[in-house]
Amino acid sequence: MSVLLESSSTSATMRRNFWAGVWRVMKRKPSRMVGVVLVLGFAFMGVFGPMFYPAQLPRDPNLITSPPSAQHWLGTDDQGRDVIALVVTGSRYVLLAALVTALITVVVGTGIGLFSGFKRGRWDTVLMRLTDMKLTIPGLPLLLVLSTVWKFGSPTQMGLVLGLLGWGGVARAVRSQTLSLRERGFIEAARGLGLSTTHIVGKELLPSMAPYIAMNMLIAVTGGVYAQVGLFFLGVLPYESNNWGQMLNTAVFRSGALTVPSGLGFLIGPLLAILLLTLAIVLVVDAMDEIFNPRLREE
Amino acid sequence: MKRLAAVVALASLATATAACSGGTTNTSGGPGGGGGLFTTIDVSRPGLDASAPANIWNPKGNSFIGYNAMKLGWVKNSLTDPNQFYPGIAAKWEIAPDNSSITLHIQPNAKWSDGKPVTAEDVKMSIGLAYTTGSTAFALTPGAAGAAADVQIVDDKTVKVTQDMANPSSKFARGVIDNWVEPAHIWGSLLPADFWEKLKASRGTGATADKDREEILAIGQKVLAFAPPKDVSAGPFTLERVNPGEALLVKNKYFYNAANVTPDQVKFLNYSGNEQVWNYLSAGKLDHSGFTAAPTDVMTRIKNAPGSEIIKGFSPVAVGMAFNQSKKPYDNVHVRRGLAYLIDRAQVTKVASPEGGTPALTTSGIHQKPAQEWIGPELSKLNPYPHDVAKAAAEFKEAGLRQKDGKWTLPDGSPWTVTMTAPSGFSDWISAQENIKSQLIENGVNAEVVTVADYPIYLEELAAGKYDVGFWLMALGPAPYDIFQRLYGTPNGWTNVAGKVTHNAPGKAGNWMGGPEELDVQGVGKINPGELTAKLNAASPEEAKPIMAQLAMAANQDLPAIQLWDYVNTQFVNTSRFTGWPAQDSDLLRLPAGVWMQLGMIKKKQ
Repeated sequence: MSVLLESSSTSATMRRNFWAGVWRVMKRKPSRMVGVVLVLGFAFMGVFGPMFYPAQLPRDPNLITSPPSAQHWLGTDDQGRDVIALVVTGSRYVLLAALVTALITVVVGTGIGLFSGFKRGRWDTVLMRLTDMKLTIPGLPLLLVLSTVWKFGSPTQMGLVLGLLGWGGVARAVRSQTLSLRERGFIEAARGLGLSTTHIVGKELLPSMAPYIAMNMLIAVTGGVYAQVGLFFLGVLPYESNNWGQMLNTAVFRSGALTVPSGLGFLIGPLLAILLLTLAIVLVVDAMDEIFNPRLREE
Repeated sequence: MKRLAAVVALASLATATAACSGGTTNTSGGPGGGGGLFTTIDVSRPGLDASAPANIWNPKGNSFIGYNAMKLGWVKNSLTDPNQFYPGIAAKWEIAPDNSSITLHIQPNAKWSDGKPVTAEDVKMSIGLAYTTGSTAFALTPGAAGAAADVQIVDDKTVKVTQDMANPSSKFARGVIDNWVEPAHIWGSLLPADFWEKLKASRGTGATADKDREEILAIGQKVLAFAPPKDVSAGPFTLERVNPGEALLVKNKYFYNAANVTPDQVKFLNYSGNEQVWNYLSAGKLDHSGFTAAPTDVMTRIKNAPGSEIIKGFSPVAVGMAFNQSKKPYDNVHVRRGLAYLIDRAQVTKVASPEGGTPALTTSGIHQKPAQEWIGPELSKLNPYPHDVAKAAAEFKEAGLRQKDGKWTLPDGSPWTVTMTAPSGFSDWISAQENIKSQLIENGVNAEVVTVADYPIYLEELAAGKYDVGFWLMALGPAPYDIFQRLYGTPNGWTNVAGKVTHNAPGKAGNWMGGPEELDVQGVGKINPGELTAKLNAASPEEAKPIMAQLAMAANQDLPAIQLWDYVNTQFVNTSRFTGWPAQDSDLLRLPAGVWMQLGMIKKKQ
């Protein structure tokens, strides 16, 4: 009985103090802390990183594609510029585009999913057929075609296109959750109380799905990074010397990073950035999952 | 870079020299002596298409130049004479002294791989195909320079082609020789029975002639798509099979010089990017590869592969940074000169094309190798535009540009950005532009690099005058007219139709350089560079030299383009299995290895 009381008292404390719960979840697996630190680090790099470097990065034409050294920890690129400086200055475009991608994916996907699931009937049929059509369009080939007519000059344009191509999965998942939740007691009760649809959707349904949506948003960030880096790597987008994908392209196809070791640093720089960003997001999503899903909490 | 390599390789092949080493007949191992498998790649065409036909006109066709695709002769890229050839299907030829005709004598024992003899009828039919697909000597455009007027079968092994002397060209013979030959018993059905009458009628003017020209060009589409049931070749090899990984060719026992062709089989490996070629070469897998751009470290690794050797020669192509003079401030020659002083060409070449180019000595419009032969002592009088920031600043000031907070601005104080455009995939051009951008920014000139999807789009947009500054292949030798028409031809406003030279306003008829029609050249006086260039079409080498000197001086002072680097023809060979490779600097390096084999040079290593 005392155990039960203690347990219920702990649960009550956790409910009262959300942040204390977050801290507990983080502490249990220190890797999650690493994830959060890395995500914050990437955010800092994207916002402030380029400010640490001059607009025109210093270069040494006598040190073209040089291996890592004390002066250049990840070596230099094909123009003799420091690889780390390129990764940092290039992060703003990559991360901003990924963020816009994620925002659009989540906003459009959630909006359509919620509306479709809640309204059901004809709206649901129409929107879901639209979603099905969207899901059947292969993303990469479409992007390749689009890149011939659109230059993706700014990260927001890039993110907009990637976001509009990526909302299908989120819309389907949110609709399923909405269909399930709308039959639950608390929604029935809200309806019985005569609350407005806006209130039911905005205050009852959405908060229940918020963690799931937030996790999807983070995962969409990695998707956005992969997609744009992939396009730059394939060389179908206009040249941006410090884009991570362009760096990979130049390292492999021009500097022979896969053939000779001297270009390895040039290849590893952007790869490491992508890897760490993915890892950070996976770790944060893992933490979020536990924070928001009581069944996963290991007390 | 692969696409650029292809363009440069084709440019090199479009123009070809050296004494044929002949080679002795190796009798061991039957005809050809030695046999063996020769492994190579086709640098002009990445990606084998197993379903493509053995058709040289088909862009993806499995027809390999010099192996199973034969020309009448192989053009030597002599430094100064466009009309020098190695024998192909034509064993010898006579060119009339006034270039009015060429008489071709077919190899007496030339046979197709199905055993049938190669006849004058085959040659005539092939010329018909050339008309349908577009060719310099067999152009349908009325009044085109150096076009043929008549094709006449003299006897079963002799064909005479006459030039239309209304607008003659000194490289008419080259235009005739540089054509594919296909068997009439396989390809002949593509030409309608009344083809030659239709061709004659198409040379007139009016609606009927236009319709005939359209009909002939429509046949060209059928030629491009034609799939012969079996590869029938008069070359040293025939296509046996293709799969996505490789194309296999086997020796054509009926080839006229089969006794001196060593390999029994040739294998073309598939590749999609430079890095694959680097790996093939580093592993010593290839017996030969044409020029593939490689960074210095990769080049060192390739050199260290067992048996690996690199042969270098002349490539009659240079690259220039060309200006659209319709756009300000590039209409001002002092701006162009200032940029020429500001750009360190040695650094650009070192970063962008360390193995495939040498920094241009100056802007003359001519590749540095033949420049001495063409313009002699005048070459040393040209301004070399050495890297000199102070001189650049003086030129910019002369142009009225202003310096504000360390940045150069336009005369009215508005910002100036040098926007350079390059086609995506041309990595050496992009790398060069990135380097130039850095050099310019470091010296107060704002600059940016913009890429476009591919080379055809680049050329289209360039011709439409959409770019301020773009890279431009120039000095395309060896014919003098070809060299200077890159600077003072259609791209700069001059068109030459039926021998009549006219100048088009900037933005019209492909004039994207937009330079002035007349130039006042120091030491020469007022000249019309386009008209002078057109004169080169019919001039003999001796007549051409003074004109070339004037044009070089004009290009040097006027700078429609800053010559950045002159390409070097770098070939990779492996001596582990075969020997008899061309010597360093040999003109044969500008021809495919298949031609080296048909000339009997390549021998099996004993």
